[in-house]
Order: sequence, then C-alpha cells, then structure tokens
Amino acid sequence: MASLLTLQVFALEDENQSRLLGYELRLNGKSTQRAFAEAKEEALRTTVRLERNGKLIALGLLVDPSGLVLTKASSCIGAREASLANGERYALRIRKRHEPTDLALYQLIGEGDEFPAVRWSNLSNLENGSWVLSAFHELQEIRVGVASGKTRPIEREGGVMGVILGSSSKSPQGITIREVVPQAAADKAGLLSGDLITKVDGRRVKTSNHVVDLVNDKDPGDVVVLSILRKGDDRDFRITLGHRSVTFDLFNRNMQMSGPVSKRKDNFPLVFQHDLPLEREAMGGPVFDLNGKCLGINIARVDRVTVFSLPSKIVRERLEDFLSELDAR
Amino acid sequence: MSFRFFLLLHVQLCLFSQLPGEVLEKQAWEKTSPQSLEDLREIQSQLQSLLPEAEKSVVSIETGDGAGSGVIISPEGLVLTAAHVIGSTGKRMKVRLHDGKRLSAVSLGGSELSDAGMLQIKGRKDLPFAPISAKDLSSVGDWCFALGHPGGFDSRRGVIVRLGRIIGKKDETMQTDSRLLGGDSGGPLFDFEGKVIAIHSRVSTQPDQNFHIPIESFHANWDFFRDQSILTLESLAEGGFLGISCQESARGLLVIGVLEGTPAEKAGIHAGDLLTQMDGKFLSTRENLTISVSQKKPGELVRLTYERDGNLLSSEIKLGRRSEE
Repeated sequence: MASLLTLQVFALEDENQSRLLGYELRLNGKSTQRAFAEAKEEALRTTVRLERNGKLIALGLLVDPSGLVLTKASSCIGAREASLANGERYALRIRKRHEPTDLALYQLIGEGDEFPAVRWSNLSNLENGSWVLSAFHELQEIRVGVASGKTRPIEREGGVMGVILGSSSKSPQGITIREVVPQAAADKAGLLSGDLITKVDGRRVKTSNHVVDLVNDKDPGDVVVLSILRKGDDRDFRITLGHRSVTFDLFNRNMQMSGPVSKRKDNFPLVFQHDLPLEREAMGGPVFDLNGKCLGINIARVDRVTVFSLPSKIVRERLEDFLSELDAR
Repeated sequence: MSFRFFLLLHVQLCLFSQLPGEVLEKQAWEKTSPQSLEDLREIQSQLQSLLPEAEKSVVSIETGDGAGSGVIISPEGLVLTAAHVIGSTGKRMKVRLHDGKRLSAVSLGGSELSDAGMLQIKGRKDLPFAPISAKDLSSVGDWCFALGHPGGFDSRRGVIVRLGRIIGKKDETMQTDSRLLGGDSGGPLFDFEGKVIAIHSRVSTQPDQNFHIPIESFHANWDFFRDQSILTLESLAEGGFLGISCQESARGLLVIGVLEGTPAEKAGIHAGDLLTQMDGKFLSTRENLTISVSQKKPGELVRLTYERDGNLLSSEIKLGRRSEE
C-alpha cells in the first residue's frame, strides 16, 4: 500500500515537472499586463499609429493638446495618415525634422479636439532593472520589460558599400575588390569582384584603409563615385551608400533570427536600452514607467532583444527647439 | 562585554524584523502573477537590490573564435558556462571581469547532452562570485533574471539584464521567457534570492522561450566536469550502453522504455522500474546515468539498484555498445 502511494506521488510530481507556464502568466501575458493598470491606459491613449498607403510605418507620441506628434524621422517618410487607440483617424502634416536625433514633428489635422498629451518623466538616468512599457502596435495591448543596459551615447557608423577589399600591395594599379556583398550598395551599382578601385570621388587611393576612411566619412544615403579599372577599361560607378547594420547583418546569425531591425541604429547622442518585444514599425512610439510617465522615445530596434530609446531629457529639449523654430516663422 | 550585548540585541532585532514578513503574506514574486503596481514595484526593487552583486560575478569569455558568457562561483575562479562556449577541455582562453580586467583561464569539462561547461580562471583567490542554488529549489513559474555579455564585453553598455519567469523545467533543460541573444550563452540565470539556478544555453526561434541548463545538471556531475572530462556525442558512441530511456523524479530515474535486445532488456529491467543507484552511487539525473555508463567500456559490468512494486532489487549488467543497437 505504501509503495502504491509513493508511485502516485511520483506521477503527480512528474506531471508537475513537465507542465509549461500558461501564456497569460508569462512576462508579457495578459495577467501580468493587467497589473500595469493606469500606466497601460496612459500608453494606449497617447501613442499614435502613423501610416503610409494604409500600412503602419511607425508609431508616434502626442506631445501637445493641439495634436502635435513626435516620431522617428527616418521611419516615417511619406506618412500621410494617423490613427489613435479610440479609432479616430487624422490626416498628417510634417512640421519639422532633426537629423542628429532622428526625430520629426507632425501635426494631426482634423476636428479641433483636445488631444491627450504625454506626461514626462524627469528621470535623468534610468536604473537597470526598472520596469518599462510601450503600446503594442495595434494599440490594444502593451509590451513590458526592463531597462537592460547602461544609458550611453551610440557612436556613428558611416555609410558602407558592401565590399570586402584585398590588400593594396597585391596590385599597384588600385585596390582589389575581393568580394561584393549580395544585395548591398556596391552590388546594386554593378561592381564585381576583381574590379580595381583607382579613385574615390576623384582622389587617387593607394591603400585599402584610405578607401575605407573616405567612404566611412560619408553617411548612409550619400553617393560616392568610384573610378574602377576592369579588364583594362576605366569606368566610373555611382554608389548610394547603405547602412552598416543592414549590409553586414546578413552574415550574422543573431541578426538572421531577429527579424526586421531599424535601418538607423547608430549615432544617437544618448540612449537607454530595454528588452521590449516590439516590431520595427513600433519605433518612434513612447516608452513609459510604472507611473505612466513618458521616459522617452523608442528610436531603434537593434536586434531581437534590444531596443534603443532616446531619454525624455533629449526628446523634450528637441521638442522645445522645434516649437521655438515654429514660433519664429 | 558591551560588544557581546550589542550582538545579542542585533540578533533579536533581526528576528523581529523577519517575523512579520513571514506570517503576513507572500512576496510579490511568489504570487501566481503580480496583482498591482505595488507588486510590480516590489519585484523591481528586489531585482535592483540583487543586481549589483550578481553583475560582479558575470564574465565575458573570449575563446579566440567568438565570445560567450559565464559566471564565477568561487573566489578561486571556478566558472560555470556552456559546453558549446568552451568546446573542449584544456583550452586556454581569456575571461573579462565586470570591470573589464582580462584574466587567463583554462577550460575544464562539461557535457554536450545538457550543454553544461566549466572553466577555471588562473592565479586568483579573491574574485567576486555568485552563490549557486541547491538542487530542486527552482520550479515553473518562478521569477528569474538573466545576465550576460551578448556580443562580447562592452564597458559603456555593461552587463545586460533581462527579466522573466521559468516557463518549463524538465530533465536537462529549463525554459524561460527571459530574452536571450547569441553571446549570452554560458551566462547565469538568477532566482529572486540572488542564486544561480541555470546557465544560458540556446536561443529559441521564439524569443520568449529560450533554453537554459538547470543547476541540477552541474550538481549531478560536478566532479566529472571539474576534472576536465567532457561528454561529447561522439564519445557516447564508444562508451558502454544500457538501452533504457527514463524520466527524472524526486527519488530516482523512472524507466519509461527498454529497447529490445539491449543489455537492459536482457537483465530484466522493465518500464516502471525506479533506478536509484549504479555501482552504489546515487543516480540524480538522466545525464548522470548516461555519463556514468558511457565512461565504462562495452563489456564491463555495472550493478544497477532499482525499486519495483515496493521491493528493492539489484542486477549486474554487462554493458553493450551503442552502435550495435
């Protein structure tokens, strides 16, 4: 009898061991989300969907009762329409852009409602492990997580062609292109492996480092002109430079598993980092603390576990500047 | 005299301050799920109180052909990590402490089954280290936090922290919804008492269902790993073979299947038998049994002790060869 009992206990324990935690109880489950109460409502009320041709391209945040919206500039090019969590739709007009912070200011155009506006956090340094939350892109749910790395500046990464260069000593006539990354800028411009680079923007080049330096001084989107020696013929190629992340991430297994990431994820004056599971199209939206105060703007989806956010201090300074530039006109 | 009195008083104060917490209610992280902002704040403040010490024990491991993470668990520099981070035994590598200092290390042992691995930092006796959990203390639903150096050491970014809960724990794997990235491999998973309960192993295609090596795997094979032995899938083919599959339970290994024509079948082992010992040593995990058996040669004899219908039985079994089956 005693042994039977112990066997039953085993069976129970075993079931226990192999059970999985229900989705609703997980970090981003519905049950956990409910605890965020007012902070959740605040996030949903002040986040805006920005659309182009009926497709979501970015989120933004309402910063003023008159319907001014801040968002990520490089994500929302061509945004025409906006919608709110309550279903209201508005036309959009761009007012201001600012390259260094990648922020843009839009105006919602419609009936003169009083719009809700975010309340700002004054926190200057978000401690690791602090709860953060943002609206999910449908504006029905939120996503929650924690600040996961130190607040810091993110250095600039220059534009890239997407080529691997040979050493310069091999050929006295120019720098050999050893490999061309498929689909990258150089490939699209028609460069081939084996081509020799003789000049960059009219300047003669002798070493591969020289080529790299000249190109890296330019930004993604800039054009560089390469003079190429191919089978004895001289030809010029115009290459529109790409983003380092997009060009070389193809080789990185982490990035293969990450899904779409932001094109621009470098060169920010200051960011904090968190682990919210947000899509690339959710960038430009606000991130909040437990009190529903806005900590900043999600400015880049870096990989499957990393989002960079511009802290509220930087965002508010930029907003002030935008507003005073508008007043001055 | 007065010092002693002070000590006594202090002990009493501690007791008093402990008591109300124990009798009143559960901590926020012990509830089925957080109910309020107050619960969330409590979880946050517990996490943030544990972080500074926990972070100091995390290392970035530079193997020469990549970077992983690990956690120091003794002042002499014994490091728990993943087998796929160290690769093989006796390899020289570098580790970077939380402050960026580079130290020499050598890989010890591990197992490709669970992915558990160990390495030893050389020439130090005063390193910051994390306490490890005893076995069987963590379970599904527990809150936890993952630390690591994804993409290698970065002083401006620091150690990365991610919060989650244990979503599954079975045999030699634990799953959490703590988010992980390559380079986190080998890093520690902590419970809400600040003890290491697992080591990061593999990322899942689902970002919120990642895999870890439970600390139980280290406890069960501690000496084997530390003494520079590694169980590779290759070495399994050459070692001894029993021919059973089993599940872990609190008192031993429950046999769930016996392959036809194998040594286990010939010796009369049945599904439902509860294996407790091999050659007089307690069997704590499936991996422990696999390692013990594979370290013997085909043809060698082992003595298995097991329970059946409340009776304690024991059989001597001549091991076979895996490739023959």
